[in-house]
Amino acid sequence: MKTLDKTSSLFWLLVSIVVFAESLRLGVGTLQNPGRGFMTLGASGILGILSLVLFLQTALRKETSEAKPFFAGNFPKRIVFVLVALVIYSRVMPALGYLISTFLLMAFLFWILERKRIPLVLASSLAATLVTYFVFSKWLNCQFPEGLLGL
Amino acid sequence: MDYFDSIIFGFQVTFQPINFLFCGIGVLVGTLVGVLPGIGPAGAMAILLPATFQFSPTSTLILLAGIYYGVQYGGSTTSILVRIPGEASTVITCIDGHEMARKGRAGPALGIAAWGSFIAGTISNLGLMLVAIPLAHAALKLGPPEYFSLMCMGLIIVTYLAQGSVLKAVMMALMGIILGSIGLDLITGLPRFTFGINELTDGVGIVPLVMGLFGVSEILENLEGSLQRTVFKARIGNLWPSFKDWMDSKWAILRGSVIGFVLGILPGGGAVISPFVAYAVEKKVSKNPEKFGTGAIEGVAAPESANNAAAGASLIPLLSLGIPPNPIMAIFFSALIIHGIQPGPLLIKEHPDLFWGLVASLYLGNGLLLILNLPLIGMWVKVLQIPYKILFPLILLFCLIGAYSMNNVVFDIYVMIFFGIVGYTMRKFGYEGAPLILAFVLGPMLENALRQSLLISQGSFLIFITRPISAIALGFAFLLLLSNISPYFQMRRRQAGSGIIQEEK
Repeated sequence: MKTLDKTSSLFWLLVSIVVFAESLRLGVGTLQNPGRGFMTLGASGILGILSLVLFLQTALRKETSEAKPFFAGNFPKRIVFVLVALVIYSRVMPALGYLISTFLLMAFLFWILERKRIPLVLASSLAATLVTYFVFSKWLNCQFPEGLLGL
Repeated sequence: MDYFDSIIFGFQVTFQPINFLFCGIGVLVGTLVGVLPGIGPAGAMAILLPATFQFSPTSTLILLAGIYYGVQYGGSTTSILVRIPGEASTVITCIDGHEMARKGRAGPALGIAAWGSFIAGTISNLGLMLVAIPLAHAALKLGPPEYFSLMCMGLIIVTYLAQGSVLKAVMMALMGIILGSIGLDLITGLPRFTFGINELTDGVGIVPLVMGLFGVSEILENLEGSLQRTVFKARIGNLWPSFKDWMDSKWAILRGSVIGFVLGILPGGGAVISPFVAYAVEKKVSKNPEKFGTGAIEGVAAPESANNAAAGASLIPLLSLGIPPNPIMAIFFSALIIHGIQPGPLLIKEHPDLFWGLVASLYLGNGLLLILNLPLIGMWVKVLQIPYKILFPLILLFCLIGAYSMNNVVFDIYVMIFFGIVGYTMRKFGYEGAPLILAFVLGPMLENALRQSLLISQGSFLIFITRPISAIALGFAFLLLLSNISPYFQMRRRQAGSGIIQEEK
């Protein structure tokens, strides 16, 4: 935990510096007439100080237990696959439309954990896509991209 | 209108077909979300929020409230049968609830959890009716300095009650304020922190933010593991608690209801902290404290009553002051704003249909939940047996739809994915999302109140300590912060934390 805390405190320190600098650029104004950057200057200033406190606390702390690895489980690759799939889905959905892109995404997500039974994967993906399409698009009037099918 | 006429009017509103339907859908979805891992009440509300745009704000609020207290009911089922809390508010129920199930008393445990929740929910509704209106009248006298100090106090309490490090919780609250400031400045109308991205001009949406931090991050964390869980296999049996069970639980239910109600009103309290306090109090006053942890029915009745009472009570600061006391109420707050209603002291006067309709729906929803959770318990046990490998793609799809349909822009999906990664990383590094969400919603109001106060006082910060209510709120917040620095209180916090963990083991 010690390494994680040190890393995160440095990250937040960096964030606070960026926000602090941007707040100054936006204009802090005066106490009588506070400007756009007034509140965020204060918030980032305190965040920066607390990040330093966390860093020092962590540095001075004696670690009694063993450091835990960042990935606690056995399947970290799944996370990467899912995130990549979500980004690709977001990219292609406007062009392919909701029905096609969602069917492909669902098939991929079901397949990640259920690789042996392809017909079941395809049937589940089709069912999930059609049910959500009719509930959200037809019944609740959500406007999904029409894409290739024009639906 | 007196209270009696008002509540009759409220029932007329609630029994309109669309509101009745929304109440039913709300409690059903809430119980489902409570039973299933992965979304949580905030995520479920965020998913359904865009779908409510074409309906009235009253129907929307009835739906959201149904989800919120439905979750408290549903969460206890997993705590008792699987020993995995469906929600944070039912963590403590695992201890004695699951022990009862192991001893063949799953039925009475589920029964007392549902009845306790029902009784506490009803008591809490009565309190809501009696407290909200006088508080709203009093709130009309509050100005920007008082609002600023009350919101500061709320944020400090949320960080103080954080499950992990208070320092990290305060840092997350500050990040929430910074994120909340993205978009157009309220006073000058000029953009800030948009970094040239046009889609950020309206700020970061609450729905993709909540979906990412709570929904996507939890899915990612679950995906790392083996996704297996064991459901209690034995027969559940008679759900009606025996006469002795009732006698053992009656004071626990009443005490739990009062504790939940009081803590629910306080900023930061909500349904999460009150079950822990109710359990600790019950153990303290019990003649046989050694029974706790071995399947004591009071250990189920008290926390289950407390979380439901708190869920209802946390509506009070939102509806009478316009201040959301916890992240769930922050979503209620956003829903009201989206529907063009400004939460605050005038809400009850200007929208009596909304207030009284909501109050009446709480009574109706509590009754519906009793039916859903007792005779239909078998259905929820079956739901519990659905493998996570089927659930996770569906939960992710609901998150995607929820994020997209808010504004019908793909950018919101990117925002959700981004905050999903942020939330996942935060979990790994020991940071909590709740203070961030609350500060994100309170941030713009906090800034507005601060700038208005400084304009009124011509730049003097003394305005915050020369006005009594503001001074008391800030003083209380300061004492809480001070108690965190004090080594004595730090030790007590650690002891309390380790005590609960040991009991859970």
